Amino acid sequence: MAQKISEKVSEILGKIKTCMGFQKKGNKVDSFKLITSPAVLFVLALFAGMLIVYFYNAMPAFNREGLSVYLKDVWRAVENPSEEYYGLASAIWGSIYTSMIAILVALPLSIAYSIFVVDYAPKRIKNTLIITSDVMAGLPTIIYGIWGAFVLVPFLKDYVMTPLHRYLSFIPIFSYPPITGFSYFSAGILLGIMVTPFASAIIREAYQMTPFAYREAAFSVGMTRYEATKVMLGYIKPAMFSGVILAFGRAIGETVAVSLVIGNTFNLSANLFAPGYTISSLIANQFGNAFIYSHMLPVLYAAGLALFFIGLLVNSAGLYLLRRWEKNVSI
Amino acid sequence: MNEYAIETKNLKISYGDNEVIKGVDLKVLKNVVFALMGPSGCGKSTMLRAFNRLLELNKDAVVEGEVLLFGENIYSPDIDPIEVRRDVGMVFQYPNPFPHLTIYDNVAIGLKLNKLAKNKRELDERVRWALEKAALWDEVKDRMGDYPSDLSGGQKQRLVVARALAMKPKVLLMDEPTANIDPVGTKKIEELLFELKEDYTIILVTHSPAQAARVSDCVGFLYLGELIEVGSTKDIFEKPKNELTEQYVTGELV
Ligand SMILES: Nc1ncnc2c1ncn2[C@@H]1O[C@H](COP(=O)(O)OP(=O)(O)OP(=O)(O)O)[C@@H](O)[C@H]1O
Ligand SMILES: [Mg+2]
Repeated sequence: MAQKISEKVSEILGKIKTCMGFQKKGNKVDSFKLITSPAVLFVLALFAGMLIVYFYNAMPAFNREGLSVYLKDVWRAVENPSEEYYGLASAIWGSIYTSMIAILVALPLSIAYSIFVVDYAPKRIKNTLIITSDVMAGLPTIIYGIWGAFVLVPFLKDYVMTPLHRYLSFIPIFSYPPITGFSYFSAGILLGIMVTPFASAIIREAYQMTPFAYREAAFSVGMTRYEATKVMLGYIKPAMFSGVILAFGRAIGETVAVSLVIGNTFNLSANLFAPGYTISSLIANQFGNAFIYSHMLPVLYAAGLALFFIGLLVNSAGLYLLRRWEKNVSI
Repeated sequence: MNEYAIETKNLKISYGDNEVIKGVDLKVLKNVVFALMGPSGCGKSTMLRAFNRLLELNKDAVVEGEVLLFGENIYSPDIDPIEVRRDVGMVFQYPNPFPHLTIYDNVAIGLKLNKLAKNKRELDERVRWALEKAALWDEVKDRMGDYPSDLSGGQKQRLVVARALAMKPKVLLMDEPTANIDPVGTKKIEELLFELKEDYTIILVTHSPAQAARVSDCVGFLYLGELIEVGSTKDIFEKPKNELTEQYVTGELV
């Protein structure tokens, strides 16, 4: 009897193991898998838990204001709780706007940098260049923030924004007078500089790995170096795409550096030189106030949730397109 | 015009200190299939790439001597390598159509960039002509907008042939074009050679004496960077003068 039970137990255990994929064909337990699986479960649980915490804590804001917390552009933080009213539209807009500017800056920079490092840089300085950009990717972002606020913003204000505004202010995006220089534009440029090392690492790697056979093919039909380079860039489009997605993800999440240069003003405008807010700079700046005003904290959670979903959306859209593209052109 | 499509004079090629081609004098007649055969590593690919100046992509490679294309030295300073490459097409050891361009664009790209077609209609016609020449048109005419990833190895290789032919080159270099495709594909490519030599001079690199015997009119045997023997295919295979050549064609030398 006892034997039967133990047989049964080991049979069931065996089934469970097979189900969970712990057991390999040779009836041997893959102990590495056994050890690492809890880590995977832990990460998944953490992910789900975080999402739940955010939802739970944002709930009061949704109950009070509904979805308009995302759609309205107001920020009424007042003594009387019943008159408090918050909307995140300008911060969401600011996040997307500055991140897009960042991409517009980072993409050409990364492409040019990659081509230079791979094709033109003499062997001696090649490694120095690669290490430099890797170090720049790892710098604490506050370093960029301070440099941005005290060096980049004044420079952009005097030599880029002011002339553009003076001569092209009839174009709506240049119409806001760059008085302080703290603006979407400054934030976007700074972000672009900050994410370039990330985007360029991916693009450079891919460009370096383009099969020599395709280069030869390009030159063999009478292409110039410029034309061949263009064709090879077409070949690494998926990598550029991943680079852009990664850069966008970093740009939209960046907090400290952006807070220092964007002007932290509630504003919903396409005016490049106007100050604004981003979701993360808003959370960082308003965090202290959230303890003073009754209804603000749930709104900040709702803001975090928005960031979360934008990130998720961008990344999954990116992955989807990448997959589709790779399927089409797989070699 | 000169009776030789390609002629080399004391051609020497080295990678850094490593001399790979050691003074080769070679004459290739027009409108023939010339097979350049020899064991692996003897310098066939290297020499072939000197004929369209593709070797220049490799910064270590140094070319000395002369390569005459229809009597004109393509290494003289006033010659633009890009012009040379338009006149001398190339097919590679691994079928390498651009995976990110459509079948149509793979053939059209050289034409487009070199502005060899006046308008879309002319371009279409030229693409079709090249694909027909490469015996691929019937197989791809309904999917010109697809990417080449679904083509078989042999089809990809014929697409590369079409890409080269579209430029209307005078000489076609083929570096072991059948090394990486199946027997059916190989047969198709070999049949193609007979058609193509009407209009082009073909230099075919192969490490297979059997293939050289099947498809070529003339053969050159390259061994360790030296051209051991050149002659008509018949002579080389039936009464080789050099012992090494004899050993190679009988399969004793590998
Ligand atoms: N890019 C390069 N840099 C340095 N040496 C090279 C390079 N390419 C080839 N070599 C050397 O030159 C010699 C000839 O190589 P090559 O590729 O021309 O031979 P091959 O006859 O085409 O051989 P296979 O039949 O294997 O293709 C070899 O010893 C090779 O190691
Ligand atoms: Mg070779």
